[in-house]
Amino acid sequence: MFADTLLIIFISVGTALLSEGITYILVYRTETYKKLKAEVEKQSKKLERTKEALGDSSDKNQKKKLERQEEKLKTNSRDLSMVKMKSMIVIAFTFTSLMSMFNSIFDGRVVAKLPFTPISWLHGISHRNLLGNDFTDSSFIFLYILCTMSIRQNIQKLLGFAPSRAAAKQSGGFFGQAQPGVK
Amino acid sequence: MATRRRGNVDNQPPSVSLTEGLPSVWQRAFSAKSQWPEKDEFLDVIYWMRQTIAILAGLGWGLLPFRGFFGIAIFCALNAGILYIYFTSFQQVDDDDFGGPWELTKEGFMSSFALFMVVWIIVYSAVFFD
Repeated sequence: MFADTLLIIFISVGTALLSEGITYILVYRTETYKKLKAEVEKQSKKLERTKEALGDSSDKNQKKKLERQEEKLKTNSRDLSMVKMKSMIVIAFTFTSLMSMFNSIFDGRVVAKLPFTPISWLHGISHRNLLGNDFTDSSFIFLYILCTMSIRQNIQKLLGFAPSRAAAKQSGGFFGQAQPGVK
Repeated sequence: MATRRRGNVDNQPPSVSLTEGLPSVWQRAFSAKSQWPEKDEFLDVIYWMRQTIAILAGLGWGLLPFRGFFGIAIFCALNAGILYIYFTSFQQVDDDDFGGPWELTKEGFMSSFALFMVVWIIVYSAVFFD
């Protein structure tokens, strides 16, 4: 059981690095992405400052200026997501095949023992393809999802690929934590 | 703690200028009432503290062991509580500068929760079922 658990952590780290690697090759290193990201960050901070300065003011000109800034930010955010789309498609294809491979390897195997009984609507994931009614048995997919949730964001942060907070805040979680590994 | 940033705009003032003359992030993180002119630096401190708490709590909960939703509830309360005390009483930052206490509380919460679950499950399985 412990060997399986370690293997899942290793797989999770590996897939997180793979997805960041693919994204780096296809997106992060491109000039278009760098330019757009810098632009979005700059505009987000500018918009934040403008909003702070404006407060509850009802000046129509200021409001129009704010709307223009928001519109520009939206356009750039959309362009940025289009740039990211290419890598997301490649990652989706890669992970779909990888996941089916891992699912067949770990099919019917209890990879860990949960110290709690998951709520009923999580049984489909936590007890996927497992025999018996002991819901403290954990399936591969449940542990893999948890590993991905924790490891991927930390790897992104350590590598410096995490989206900036200002941009994420302004675009309402637009750059929020994507989980391409969880299919 | 030092999350690297990429893609800085040329015409933006470099972030170093705001923190010039101040001690390192590490020193400020463990000194009371430090100055945080760069908001992201403080949020990074909060983020990595949460991850550390998650690992330590996961290890502790797995070894003791804590079982059931009691363990999850205690972790959530501890994680939120320790960091709340840290930024209100120890650092005494004005949470409005960061978008309110909720913004600071949710910074890195989900990934720390997932990390806690992973460590808790692994340690518990390894110690009691292997």
